[in-house]
Amino acid sequence: MSYDFDAVIVGSGAGGGTVAHQLCQAGYKVALLEKGRLIQRGEFSKDELAYCRRDVVTPRLFDEYHIIEEKVDGEWRETPTYESNWSFWNGNIVGGSSNLMSGMFHRMHPDDFRLLSRYGPIKGANIVDWPITYGEMEPYYALAERLIGISGKAQRHPFEPPRSTPDFPQPPTKENEVVKLFDGSCQALGIVPLVTPRAVLSQNQGDRNACYYSNFCGSYGCSSGAKSSSREALIRPALATGNLTLVSNAQVTRLTADGERVKSAEIVDTITGRKRYITARIFVVAAQAHESVRLLLNSANKAHPGGLGNSSGELGKNLIFSAGGSGQGVLKRQNLKGISFSDLMQRGLFVNRSVLDWYMLEKKKGDRHEKIEMKGGLVEFMFEHQNNISRAAKSRYSGEKLLWGKALGEKMKKSFTEGKNIRFEIFNDWLPTDDCHVSVSDTQKDRFGMPVGKLRIHAHSHDLEIASTIADSCEAILRKMGAEDVYSAVSPIPPQNLIAGGCRFGSDPKRSVLNKYCQSHDLPNLFVADASFMPTGGSVPYTWTIYANALRISEYMVGELKKSPQPFSKL
Amino acid sequence: MKRRGFLGACAVVGGAVLLGSEQKPAAVLPKDIFSLIAGVQQHMFPEGSTLPSAGEFNATHFLQETVMHPLYDRDIRKFVIEGAEELQYREKQQFLTYDMVHRERALRAYEKTAYGSEWLDRVMLLSLEGLLSDPIYGGNIHESGWISLQTRGGEPRPVVRYAGK
Repeated sequence: MSYDFDAVIVGSGAGGGTVAHQLCQAGYKVALLEKGRLIQRGEFSKDELAYCRRDVVTPRLFDEYHIIEEKVDGEWRETPTYESNWSFWNGNIVGGSSNLMSGMFHRMHPDDFRLLSRYGPIKGANIVDWPITYGEMEPYYALAERLIGISGKAQRHPFEPPRSTPDFPQPPTKENEVVKLFDGSCQALGIVPLVTPRAVLSQNQGDRNACYYSNFCGSYGCSSGAKSSSREALIRPALATGNLTLVSNAQVTRLTADGERVKSAEIVDTITGRKRYITARIFVVAAQAHESVRLLLNSANKAHPGGLGNSSGELGKNLIFSAGGSGQGVLKRQNLKGISFSDLMQRGLFVNRSVLDWYMLEKKKGDRHEKIEMKGGLVEFMFEHQNNISRAAKSRYSGEKLLWGKALGEKMKKSFTEGKNIRFEIFNDWLPTDDCHVSVSDTQKDRFGMPVGKLRIHAHSHDLEIASTIADSCEAILRKMGAEDVYSAVSPIPPQNLIAGGCRFGSDPKRSVLNKYCQSHDLPNLFVADASFMPTGGSVPYTWTIYANALRISEYMVGELKKSPQPFSKL
Repeated sequence: MKRRGFLGACAVVGGAVLLGSEQKPAAVLPKDIFSLIAGVQQHMFPEGSTLPSAGEFNATHFLQETVMHPLYDRDIRKFVIEGAEELQYREKQQFLTYDMVHRERALRAYEKTAYGSEWLDRVMLLSLEGLLSDPIYGGNIHESGWISLQTRGGEPRPVVRYAGK
């Protein structure tokens, strides 16, 4: 039997781009399908109105939306995102949301791979161990450092995961002088400040230029190629092999399959509306967790009535996000100690600091002296995003009254020129529960005629407890730095750009969707390469793990492709 | 939170807003609406403030081009127009004849209604976008908004509006 390609990959973000790169490097013909358009390096600008306030890199919510189910007064209520304007699209362009990330990268800790056996069960949470260990993932974390380019500095810390290489391939990016104040304050409090690894080049690498410290990194595409997006680090080199066919503006509406294997991808051209089918030996879904689930559910047929790869009934279940919270304080000119105000206000340089001290926590068990160990989380410190419009908008109220005229001008001027906000973001586990999952609507369809995804969202109370504990310690750091107006907020509202789960991997086909190689238990030529494989999410941003895991499973795919033209018998 | 809850909820002169009833937007706002919004923006951004005046940063032309652009949310476009009509109605078409004291009183009274508060906030946000977005969009004339706050946009600057979309 002949095929159009060896592999069809749905989604060009961190997972899909990685698999495309590895298969093309191994000599296989790959079609990489992306629903969005291609924006090349030279086309990106720091246009706040376009990239941060309008839908130029995501679909219009009237055309394509999700339905969010939240519990209100004890009842589940549905709200379509065109009503709430709470978009769950994240960078629908070639390279996906990796184009727009801030690139604060961390490996998961070895205990994150064995959360159940290390910490035990938690009532109401579906915690399981991963079917692989940190030791099995580590070589791919190391490979990702070199391949995509991660800058940083190896540091010793009890909760820093072990490394197989002595240091990062590139030194850290440049830092604002505020780190002197931050480091001193942490040390005075007995807290260990760590340099944050970043998926941002500090030195030129190949045809990618080092960071030029634009002052506008997160939410924007990179104009120098320094940010280690899937497009820059993987898709461009994959195209250079001659083995990659990049198909942009291509919405995959369905995968066709018989009882044995996936046959083709049904594609709609988002510009012309033309439909066509592409065949391949293997199919890799990497459309971001909730959209990958939606595609597999919408591909249900007689042989797979519950959706592709769903004989376990687990498809869409145990959706997770990154739990946590955030806080901030203002470093004001008049109270600044140890560094000059002009150094603080220098544009572009990073804070690049994180704290791992609370990755593991202890709490007293009842009245006894015995302590319980709990999984904690990571904290990142950064300046407030320097977007001008959004910063100005924060000054527009005094209480509930809108400011205007001279009062508005004076408040905005003071805010822009008399201080700088320093922020923190907490990342801790969003425990998987029965009340957080993806399904598809029976009645509502998007502009392609595809049933829209329904996301039921619920945070476990444990997640909020952990984040609150950590937030108190973070506020102490900011106060020690001399910051004023310090506050923090812990919320059950998830960050829609940090989404995982829904296609759990595991050893038991009755309780998981994928095997340890992220291959469907049911359809051996179907793989999932985004974050949806994760049964638990760890307490760090996911992207490095997505890159590493995609490298790991690509190696398996290459091995299987080599075996025979008709590969992929069930494990 | 249903952001569209305010649409049509308490507008006296505004009709119901139907999803899916989008028509191709006209290129410009009705003249009386343009003038009224200009009057409101002049009150919000008067001359003699730390910030450029509404006229100096081309606030109303920016707002018009922005809300009439096909990328702009169609419900909010309607809301901007209907909210202005509501203010006209409340003030019996006299708002533009008022002096500063009377305009302040009228706008603060409008702000006390949920609908008016939402509308004024929308006009403020659109004004701030005009003040501080890249001058390619027609506001922030000669970067006057950035200069007033001792800031500037990021590099590279856009060479086309809305990333060419």
